Amino acid sequence: MHARLALAFRVPLFAPLLFVLLPTVWAAGASTLRINGSTTVNLPVAEAAEILRAEKKMDIEVDTQGGSAGGISALSDGLVQVGMSSKHLSDADRVRYPKVAFKEIQIGEDAVALAVSRDVWEGGVRALTKPQVREIYEGRIKNWREVGGPDRRIAFFNKEPGRGTWEVFAHWLYGDAKKAPQVNFPEVGGNEETRNKVASTRGAVSQLSFSWADGKTVFALGIKGEDGMVIQPTAENTASHAYAMSRPLFLLTNGEPTAEAKTLIDFVLSPRGQDLVKKHGYLRLQDLKQ
Amino acid sequence: MTTVAPAARSLAGNLPRRRWSATRSLSYGFSALAAGFVVVLAVLFVWQSIPAWRHEGLGFLPGKKWFYPQEQFGALAMIYGTVIVSLIALLLAAPIGIGAAIFSAEFIPRRLQLAVKVLIELLAGIPSVVYGLLGILFLRDWIYRALTPFDPLSGDTLLTAGILLAVMILPTVMTLCDDALRGVPSAQRQAARGLGLTQTEVVLSVCLPQAARGMVAAVLLALGRALGEAIAVFLVVGRQDNQWPANPFSLRPLIESGQTLTSKLASSETNIAYGDPLHWAAIVGLGLVLLAMTVTVTLVGTQLMRPREGHA
Repeated sequence: MHARLALAFRVPLFAPLLFVLLPTVWAAGASTLRINGSTTVNLPVAEAAEILRAEKKMDIEVDTQGGSAGGISALSDGLVQVGMSSKHLSDADRVRYPKVAFKEIQIGEDAVALAVSRDVWEGGVRALTKPQVREIYEGRIKNWREVGGPDRRIAFFNKEPGRGTWEVFAHWLYGDAKKAPQVNFPEVGGNEETRNKVASTRGAVSQLSFSWADGKTVFALGIKGEDGMVIQPTAENTASHAYAMSRPLFLLTNGEPTAEAKTLIDFVLSPRGQDLVKKHGYLRLQDLKQ
Repeated sequence: MTTVAPAARSLAGNLPRRRWSATRSLSYGFSALAAGFVVVLAVLFVWQSIPAWRHEGLGFLPGKKWFYPQEQFGALAMIYGTVIVSLIALLLAAPIGIGAAIFSAEFIPRRLQLAVKVLIELLAGIPSVVYGLLGILFLRDWIYRALTPFDPLSGDTLLTAGILLAVMILPTVMTLCDDALRGVPSAQRQAARGLGLTQTEVVLSVCLPQAARGMVAAVLLALGRALGEAIAVFLVVGRQDNQWPANPFSLRPLIESGQTLTSKLASSETNIAYGDPLHWAAIVGLGLVLLAMTVTVTLVGTQLMRPREGHA
């Protein structure tokens, strides 16, 4: 049996297989534009990179190692020319990398709304206070009646942890997404799925990127402040930071962007690039200026 | 087989030098490669999941809590989800599939049989994401509406996933049962008819007893597919963690959301886990549990699929 097995291996069968299995060798040319950082910012940027690859034959690698923090550290270490971040640079970042001349270029804003189904909206729930949202999220309020709505159980669809939308929500509610307690809700992924499930379920609510709350099938709730003022999740209120469940989306460079980095950033800021920002559910810069 | 084997042996005897033809070497080589992959896979799963077993011990399996930020990893609720969803699928698909197979193999004319068979096998080849999208589009809402008297929280329930899976494995059950029935020699049917049995009696007392083994195998292989199905289930099961019911024998949990091993593995948590050795190990541990379940069911199924001694 052993002799037979040995014979089988003497036949040079595996030589061609090696070529198949060998990883593709990529040329690490000097002109490669490397980008790393936040998965949230990655969505429009990766698509912009795709277009630039096709139209300008640019060599671009976009990666999302370590999220925003990974983007900042990779830029500081000189591993990438452009970082992607979904939060402002902190003083701690600037202290940690004193030699880096960080430049923040905002490309849009990610606003999150609490979107409810039609029966909740028409039952009279138009806004919630922050404490009410917390009670609902932690499962102490289970019926819409308790917040002035119809007598119906609350069907909370929680965005998967790790989704940008969930992070914004948890950050808004708890100050730090890591402090969010354990909850048990059905989970939803992308905006499409979320909108579909909220729209088709009675008593439903979920965190949804602002631009997906269309006001026809799902409805964005306002946030009622301590003074009783209701802040609607509109572009103006997001721009003025009156509506707090949002965060800016940045591209970061070390000093003024040059060469390929400038080409990419200019493209993302151009109307076509801004349309990509909008396509992925974020507010464009022009939406913020209104 | 019995008529072919001696001829093949004499052929091999005449040509001992050409035993290692290219075809034969290739077959051996690729078989070894395939077997090697399976072994490497199993070893990799065990090795990668070691930190989870160290952290949770055997409590990983009966642990009811899964909350990764606090490093709690218990697989029980997901194993429960997988078992329940697959059971629902089997309970629905097995009777219908077997019935349909009996009908197509025993009661309809030859030409029609072929057409039915082709249609069914086409169904078996539809990608699961298509079923999943159909599930989202129609099944969720139908079930949500039908269950209204019981006040389910949403249309994403274990029952929805089970019914969707039933539709998906139905073609597998049917086509394999059909094969099993056709394996019964028609001479026996004719003899039975000659003894004066009606067609129904022939099916019940001649065909079914002989095909039973193959039909059980068919159901088990379908179960193997049900256990491992991810995307379609993912879209309609609700993906709610820690849904181990207070009373495992009550029917209420069926109309609530749940989580299966596959829906967990397909979730974004896999991406989050990648940077954290313990969390990653727990995720791979779930994969190992799933692998063990499907391999067991499939092995038993294929074992039964083999014809017994004396049957061609």
